[in-house]
Amino acid sequence: MITLLSDHTLLVFVGIPALVIAVVALLVFASSIASGPRYRPGLSWWAPPVWIGGPDVNAKPDPANLPELPAGPSSATASTGVARTTGGASASW
Amino acid sequence: MPAGDAFTPDQLYDIERAVRHAEAASGLHFSVYVGGADSETRPFAVELLNELEDPDRSVLVYVDPAGRRLEIVTGATAKRQLSDHAAGLAALSMQTSFAAGDLTGGLVTGVQQLGDHAHQAPLLHANEPHKQ
Repeated sequence: MITLLSDHTLLVFVGIPALVIAVVALLVFASSIASGPRYRPGLSWWAPPVWIGGPDVNAKPDPANLPELPAGPSSATASTGVARTTGGASASW
Repeated sequence: MPAGDAFTPDQLYDIERAVRHAEAASGLHFSVYVGGADSETRPFAVELLNELEDPDRSVLVYVDPAGRRLEIVTGATAKRQLSDHAAGLAALSMQTSFAAGDLTGGLVTGVQQLGDHAHQAPLLHANEPHKQ
């Protein structure tokens, strides 16, 4: 019985299965590791804001630093550089 | 979502490329903001649109991942090219991807759709004199 647990036996019955498991696990998780952290709806969001095509391409503004919101719809209609009327759509998930 | 940037460089590149294509197809300015809002999302998104250089000719896609809210805001001129109905269709497409956890895919597909809907056919022979 002792002779069965030689190094060679351990290698065949423990080492090789462990190696196969490791390779399969690597293949399974490789794509998620490569694609980075994934957004999961319902869980909290920690990343800082990102603005693509914003006033400054490199800027990542903090919402707290943005100008005050207009007091009412009427105040956002007259001044230059401000969208007169806006359209669009909304959704939630 | 663990701490860190919202998107990997590859994901950012994909979104920026979709934005550039949409701008080239429509002639409008496209902007994508991903982050939380301190107030109601719609007024916040409108305020972001007004921060842009030419808000009337701009389309802003605002995504609040934590609040699970999406807003598409079009300026006065952009609204003529991109109807609310078309924006609603793009929002529906993005909503489906976001609900499945695919933030990048949703943004890329949605911005592409917005660009396609706002596409303007080139005006052929506009500078040529009229021939009898």
